[in-house]
Order: sequence, then structure tokens, then C-alpha cells
Amino acid sequence: MYDLSLTPEQLEFRDTVRDFVESEVKPAALNPKRLEPFEKPLLAGLLDKAAQMGLRSLALSEEAGGAGADGLTACIVMEELGAGDVDLAAVLAQTATLAHVLFDRLMTPEQRKRFLPEFIRNDGNHLAFAGRDPGAGAGWSYHRPLAESAADVQAVKQGKEWVVNGALAFVPNATVAKLFAVQVRTGAQGFATLLVPRNTPGLTVREPLRAIGEVIRWHHGAGAGVAFKDCRVPADQALGGSAAALAAELARGVPPLAAVNLGLGRAAFEAAVEYAKLRRQGGRNIIEHQAIGTKLADCAIRLELARNAIWKAAWTLDHPEAVAGRSVSDLPLHTVARVYTAQAVNEVALLAAECFGAMGVMRDMPLQKYVHDSMVFVHSEETDGAAKLAVAEALAGFRRPAADAA
Amino acid sequence: MDFSLNEEQRHWQAEARKFSEEELRPHSLERDQIEGGFEPWDWEIIEKGSKLGFRTLAVPKEWGGPGADFVSQALVMAELARGDSAMSKAFSQNWKWSHLIASACTHDQKERFLKHFLADHRYVMGRGITEPNAGSDNRMPPEDDPKAGYRLRAVRDGDHWILNGEKCFIANGSVGSLFFVDARTNPDVNIRSGGTLFMVPKTTPGFRIGKVFNKRGWRFYQNAELIFENARVPHANVVGDVGTGSVKAGKGDTTGGDIFGDLELAANALGVCDDACQMAMAYASTHKRAGRYLMEHQLVQLRINEMHALTEALRSYVMRVAWQHDRKEHSANAGLVMNWSTDVIQRVTRLNMEIHGAEGCMMIARVDKLVRDAMVWTHLAGDTVQRVKVLRRLGKGARIAAGANAD
Repeated sequence: MYDLSLTPEQLEFRDTVRDFVESEVKPAALNPKRLEPFEKPLLAGLLDKAAQMGLRSLALSEEAGGAGADGLTACIVMEELGAGDVDLAAVLAQTATLAHVLFDRLMTPEQRKRFLPEFIRNDGNHLAFAGRDPGAGAGWSYHRPLAESAADVQAVKQGKEWVVNGALAFVPNATVAKLFAVQVRTGAQGFATLLVPRNTPGLTVREPLRAIGEVIRWHHGAGAGVAFKDCRVPADQALGGSAAALAAELARGVPPLAAVNLGLGRAAFEAAVEYAKLRRQGGRNIIEHQAIGTKLADCAIRLELARNAIWKAAWTLDHPEAVAGRSVSDLPLHTVARVYTAQAVNEVALLAAECFGAMGVMRDMPLQKYVHDSMVFVHSEETDGAAKLAVAEALAGFRRPAADAA
Repeated sequence: MDFSLNEEQRHWQAEARKFSEEELRPHSLERDQIEGGFEPWDWEIIEKGSKLGFRTLAVPKEWGGPGADFVSQALVMAELARGDSAMSKAFSQNWKWSHLIASACTHDQKERFLKHFLADHRYVMGRGITEPNAGSDNRMPPEDDPKAGYRLRAVRDGDHWILNGEKCFIANGSVGSLFFVDARTNPDVNIRSGGTLFMVPKTTPGFRIGKVFNKRGWRFYQNAELIFENARVPHANVVGDVGTGSVKAGKGDTTGGDIFGDLELAANALGVCDDACQMAMAYASTHKRAGRYLMEHQLVQLRINEMHALTEALRSYVMRVAWQHDRKEHSANAGLVMNWSTDVIQRVTRLNMEIHGAEGCMMIARVDKLVRDAMVWTHLAGDTVQRVKVLRRLGKGARIAAGANAD
């Protein structure tokens, strides 16, 4: 059985978000006055509006007050948002995934009661995961134990509280998050994940990186560094479950982010097709020249393949039985999708910009931003090459020793 | 075969390297990160370089210039570009038109313009050919469409020509004192026979600068609109003959136009690649991932190898073309090396980014700058028309059609 038909609900989601992006996000995001300056502040008004449309709680179960969208639906929505503004989309992708993972899957009923009402009530309430990305550094430690990271946040138990100290250089969503899930080291071997509201004394969100300076911001969304100084967290705010289980849950966030990446590639491609139909050189519209035609075909091929990879990865995460039943490969398909999409969309953005000639590098035009955004996807968190090594380890059947599986 | 440089060539290379390290590189990122199209420009840098001869490098000795040969010019462009690609281009853009003046202008025109150019440290030049609807069509006018290409109109009025129209993306547009402008003296035939090249000083009545373009890369380098509203240009400023097209206007120009411009972009790319290699080596030997220096990871070793191989191959090709130019052996190689430099500079700057990308949520700004600067090549040196155009030269063997490339 192989069925790629979308449900009426999925199609409706797509159309609704596409309309929102066309009528509200693109006019704001692609305004030359916003495109030209280096700094591009988060479109906060539109973020709230998207939240009011339910996109913040997209993947949260209906019982909990969300839209209950599955992974595939989330990817369909995030592609549309990514075509409008990657930062906006990245924030929503993060919150939507974490809402499902934290509230539906990892919290105790008690914890849900404490944190869910506020999340539902306040459209400006976003979520962040602060900790070592379970896969980060894995590539560089290819076929060897993970290197100790001195940067881990430490927690020591005092009575009924954890006392948290340390800092993380980068936490996605940190500048907008009201609730952090913080992964802490609790001793030589142990890890725990603590729920820490933003207003907890001792938690500080640092100034976000800037777009200029010797070192510049190289991420999407609303991330920043987070520091903990004698930050006291009640012991009952620890999440249950093993580090491996948490890692498996967080993998759900990968396909929607790849879908944001895909959306940006689609926006670049669509702009190029539109322009190629209008621009006339060499006695005909440039789309009728072989050189432009093949560029656009290359874009279309890459985008189709990326979408296939993303949808398959998202669907497979929701259907582990398909792997167990040998219908789908047991490779880390979310990593496959992410690595392929980042590369493919970068190529798409560059090819699309080339169709625009000199207009492709002008700062008041969208193409140069699409190129920049696509490069950030290739080189953020870990490099493209190192991410591939995670796939290579899976191919070799390499299993990391349990002690550093966290 | 002899790859050694002579004393004069070594002298220019050393001078350029010193100037680049001391005066360009320290300001490179700072100028690049200034908002706006015009604002990154800095006259002080141009003046300092001009005093050392880098603005007038290509002016022949008989006219009082340094008269450096092509090998020296290539070496200087690469050295300056290693400090800042856009600044290097701001200097060498003048050499292109020095070549043109030297080879195609009358004695009177040389007297009137070359002397000013030599005397004034702030005198820079540009050429206006591109228009909003005429980019590729100027480089390769379609045979079956006589109206394709630039439309800026020139109408004779006694001893003057009246120019009306608009040019865009014009190099040095916002800062130039003199522009070579391609205009239609006959709008009903193709630009090869209906075009004429004019010298337009910035003080020309009816001539003004429009929008200054704000670019992703080469931010220091200026590109602007030129607006002509009944601009009055003396007939004495026509380069070559009326109605022979800009290609023929530069017909004595066996060293300027395309021929120099192609070498220019390739040599500039070489400097950027040298910079990227140097950055990658320094970073990989000082930063660790998973307990080992980046340099010790195969992933990085292979990338560094590729960066150096491509850069050294580009160097050989650039220097060979410069050497051929000095021997007046013009071939398709100039075009090919320019096209290929597009691929090399993209690849090498991206490999550098891949190596530095290990920083995670941040990027070293200069790494990104090199990638942004490199992107300019894709529409300037390596677009389809620039690649296809070379086939004409391949077809003609050693005989070349010079002149149409203006950017």
C-alpha cells in the first residue's frame, strides 16, 4: 500500500496557511525596507497572529487544547510558513513540536496541570529545549565515544530542589520562550531534564547574536545563550524517561525544521520561475533558453526529492511499526531528510538567484536573502559533513556505548 | 618553460601585498558591514593606494603611468583581493579603461582625460553599458532582434550629441569622474552597427547619478544608475567612429575590454581563494572538535586539499593568461579562466565556510563575506552568456572579438 493523497484537513491547513503567508507574511518579510538592513527583527505581530491561528499548538493533542496535527501535517504547514519567513517559521516549528513532546508525551499529569493552562491561555507563550542536542557532536566523534562537553549544565540536588549552574551558548527560541526544558548533568553519568519557567530566579537569557561584528548570528528563529546561576528548580519538575527516549522524542522536531528549509527553497524557485517568464533577453523570454530551463528543472527536481524525504521521515516517526514491519528503512530518515534538504535548497536558492542576474545580489530583492537563509541551514548546529557521519554510523551498525548515549 | 617573475613583477607583488595587509585587510570587514549602498566606500583607501600607483597601474609609461605589464597587473589584483576583493576591483576597474584610452582614444582625448586621471588621486572611471532591459543582450546581441541591447539614445546636435536614457549597475557609478557610455546613434539596426561609445565626464550638463545599489557582496565597490536627461556631450568625446558599435570603437583595443576584464575577474578570484585557504588552515589547526583538531579529521583534510588544489590550478591558469597577454597572444583562455574562476571561487569559499561552520549557531563574519563576495562572480563572470560567448573565440582560434564586455 502506498498512498500519498492528503486528507481534506491537510489540504485545508495548507491552503489556510498559504493564504496567510501570501497576504500577510510575504508583504512584511519581503518589504525592501526590511530586506536591506542587516538586522531583521522577529516579526512579532505576525508571530502572535500565527499563534492565534493555532499554529503554535499545531501538534499538541486535541485533548490538551491543540490541533492534534500529525508529523506530516506539521511539515505541510511549516513548508508554507518557511516560504514566507524562516525565522517566524522556525520559532513556530520549535514550539509546536515541543508542545506535543512535552505536554502530550513526557510530562506527568501533575506537571501538565501546572504548565499547560498558561501555555494554552497565552498566545505569546513559547517553548524551548535547552541542552545538548542529543545528536550534536556525534558526527565528529565518528565511531568513537562522545567527547565530554565541559559546557554541560550541572545540577546538584539539595533537599527537594535541584540547584542548576552553567551556561549554554545557544538555545533555540530562548528569546521568546516562557518555559524551558533544560537538560542537566547530575553527576558523572546521570542526566535529567528539568522544566524551568523563564521567570525562575537564576535563569538568564543572554543578548542574541547580532548580524554584524567579527562573529555573526548564524541560525534561524529566536535563539540566544542561556545561563543558570544557582537556579533552584523543584524536584517534581523533572521529566521522566531515559535520555535515549528524550532523544527519540526530539527527533520529531527535525522534519518540521527541514520543511521550513524546503519552504524557503520553494519561495526562491517560484520567484525565479515567475521572473523567467517575464524577463526577455536573447530575443525570447529567458525561460525559453535551455540554460535557464535546466536550472529551473534542477530546482524542481531537488525540491520534489526533498519534500519526499521530509514527508517520509515525518510519517515514519509517527509509524514506527512500518520500520519494524520492514516497509521502511531503519536509517535515521529524519537526518537523511535534513541533510539532503539543506544541500538541495542551498543549490536551489543559488540557481534561482542566478536566473535574476545582478538582481540576485541586490539587498532590496528577496533572492540574496533566500541564499543567505539557505546557507545558514547548511551550516547551522553542525556542518553538513558531520551530520552525514551520523548516517554513516547507522549504516555501519555502530552503537554508541550506553554511558554517553545521552 | 620558466615560471619565475622578473624584478619589476616581484616589486609590484611585494608592494601590493604590503599595502593589502596594512591598509585593506584591517578595514575590510568594517567597510563591508556598513549599511547602505554608497556608505561602505572610503576615498581615503583609494587615495592611499593611488599614491602607491595602484589606481593608475595600467597607464603606459609614455603617458606618465607606471605601465606595469599584465603579469604584474594580475599579481597586484590577486594581492589586493586577498585583503579585500571589492577594494581590489575598485582599483583595477580603472585599469580596464586605461587600456581602452591608451589603445582607442585620440591624442586629443588622451590629453584631455588621461592627464586628469593621472593627476587626481580621486579620479576614477567606469563604463555604462547595462540597462534595466539590456544585460546579456549587450554581451551577445541576438541575431534576429535588431532592437535588443541598450536603448540609451544619442542624437546629433551640431558639435554635440544629446543623450537620453538610463544605465544601471554601473561600476564606480556613484564616484566616477569619467564614464564610457554606450548609446544608440541608430535605433533601427543592431548595436554592432547602431551603437557608439561616448566619453561622459560627470560634470556633463543633463547627466546625473541615480540610485546607488546596495549589494550582498562587493559592498565597498560602487554600482549606480546613470541618468541622462538631454545630456550634452561634445562630438569630440566619441571614441572611434560613430555607428560602428562599441565593439569596433575599441578596435585598437587588443588589450582592454574583454581581454583585460576577463583576466581581472579571474585574478581577483585568485586572491579571494588564497585568503580562504589561509583562513581554513589557521582555523583547522587551532580549533578542535570531539577532542581532535579539525585538521586531524578526514572530513576537513579532504576539504583543505581540494581548496588548495583548486586555488593553485587557478593561479597557474591566471598567470598563463597574463603571460599570453604580455606576448600579445590572445586566445579563448581569457574567457575560459574567467568562467572557471566563478566555479573555483564559489567552491573554495564554500569549503572554507564548511570548515568554519563547525561553530554552530555563529559564523566568523569574514568567512561569510568571502562567500558573499564570491556570489558576484555568478552573474558577472560565469553566467550563461559569459560562458557561451567564449565559444566565438574558440571558433576563431587566436583571433578575438574584443570590446563588448563592460562590467
